[in-house]
Amino acid sequence: MNPFDMRGPEFLVFYILLSVIIITALVLTRRVAEAANAPRLDLSDPYLIACLRRGESEALVVALVSLIDRGLLIFDGTRIERAQGVTPDSVRRPIEKALIEKFATPNEASSIFDDITLKMACDQYQETLKSARLLPDESVTQARMLRFVIAFFILGAVGGVKIFVALERGRTNVAFLIILMIVAIALAARVSSPRLTASGSAMLADVQTLYSNLRERAAFIRPGGATIEAMMLAATFGVGALAGEAFAYTKVLFPRAKSSAAGSSCGSSCGSSCGSSCGGGGCGGGCGGCGG
Amino acid sequence: MKDRIGLGWRPELAAGILSNLDKIDVVEVIADDFFAARRHKRRALRTLAAQTKVTLHGVSLGMASAVAVEPKRLERMARLCEEIAPLSWSEHLAFVRGGGVEIGHLAAPPRTAATIDGALINLERARKIVGVAPQVENVATLIDPPGSDRDEATWVAEIVRGSGADLLLDLHNLHANALNFHFNPFDFIARIPAERVAAIHLAGGKWIGENGARRLLDDHLHDVPDAVYDLLTEVGARAPRPLTVVLERDGAFPSIDCLLQQLERARQALAQGRARLFAAGDEEAAA
Repeated sequence: MNPFDMRGPEFLVFYILLSVIIITALVLTRRVAEAANAPRLDLSDPYLIACLRRGESEALVVALVSLIDRGLLIFDGTRIERAQGVTPDSVRRPIEKALIEKFATPNEASSIFDDITLKMACDQYQETLKSARLLPDESVTQARMLRFVIAFFILGAVGGVKIFVALERGRTNVAFLIILMIVAIALAARVSSPRLTASGSAMLADVQTLYSNLRERAAFIRPGGATIEAMMLAATFGVGALAGEAFAYTKVLFPRAKSSAAGSSCGSSCGSSCGSSCGGGGCGGGCGGCGG
Repeated sequence: MKDRIGLGWRPELAAGILSNLDKIDVVEVIADDFFAARRHKRRALRTLAAQTKVTLHGVSLGMASAVAVEPKRLERMARLCEEIAPLSWSEHLAFVRGGGVEIGHLAAPPRTAATIDGALINLERARKIVGVAPQVENVATLIDPPGSDRDEATWVAEIVRGSGADLLLDLHNLHANALNFHFNPFDFIARIPAERVAAIHLAGGKWIGENGARRLLDDHLHDVPDAVYDLLTEVGARAPRPLTVVLERDGAFPSIDCLLQQLERARQALAQGRARLFAAGDEEAAA
């Protein structure tokens, strides 16, 4: 049966089925093409993990919280400024240096999102993730574009021919079909180009699985840069996962970040002797635990 | 000679381990935790194995038993080994079930010809199904296995020689058994085939019981005692092959720094042993 001879409602059903098939094919072919074994990645760098999870902005958010947590930046409830005696040389990673530099002049936390210098400080993370093919590089982007163009052509051609046939037969009730075409093509575009590659999504899910215990212990993780756990938790599950009094300021810094970590609200009873003396990126192993 | 020093993977230590892979050469994963794990957990284990060397450690096969290990258990281990491609896999010289009853404990079997034969059959079956024999680990016991007709060193050595399997020598198990049953652990090390020692476990424990019946319990909840480092030096001086040394900690987790200090101490203790081994080799060559 020639689909172009179908009546309007029947053709719409046909077109919906065609769209579902094409969009499913787009998803599956992309997954197959972008799947790969997990690459070796520096999982000790919370900013890299944050960048994998939600991009440069998230890396900046985690770095900002890390610097406040370690006392290198001071948050007064509305604005942030760097602590007395702190210079960019006090920290190790470029992203932290850039943030220390920026907050030499007090400013609001949200100002980090439109600062070109800070974005540039995150470039290394984007490049690392691209070279590991966790973010789409040029060849992946081209392949995605090719698949989308094919899908666009099929969806556009089938819909276009039907509209042509309908108009030729004197029917003008093609609005639903046009809307359907727009929706289908928009969906095809969306599923063709997610931010992460398939192996990037898998890597993120794996890192979240490996660090899942942090989420369960969120309420007991010590602040102050005593261990790297707090920043790993923030990097892997978002700043909203930080729990306890010591991290309450994060709710004001970024009001949309709701705590998703379960557990009590009591903070750690362990004192930190590490304070803000750590060089950067957390204290590595930190200053010692509560001894279980 | 490239010895490897590492830690047992525990979810509680994930951040500490992954942040210090420059100081941790190898991570030992409990295989049984992944036999029935959902797909995403196994995939995460593959990702972990992409970041560092991984060994798999079994706790439920019950190798040293007159009862045959069920093929389905070995097949699960085989599948996991195929998926993860570990450096090696290991299992205990213990029995864990009998008459259909799981005892939930790594129990030391009677040290007899029958249990040696049972272990050899099980190890051969494991080799056939998994593709490579496991490293076999000596276990700690609070009671001297009744019905035994030989001592532990003899029993372990006979299994290792008869099976061709490598030995994972748990030095805290050895230390605990030596204290509990009054034998010299250095003599034990001298009597096992040094060339078959491929891996070492380090751990800590605590004393339990009253005066007359005090026993050292291998609980993996305490720091490695000095005596165990001395044993590591001794093994380093005798075992000619590269060793994989793993610190096991199952709870009461201290800071990662504390665990890294223990790894560093193990590295130094092993280096001392290696220095003795090389010096002896030089002397032999000169003679």
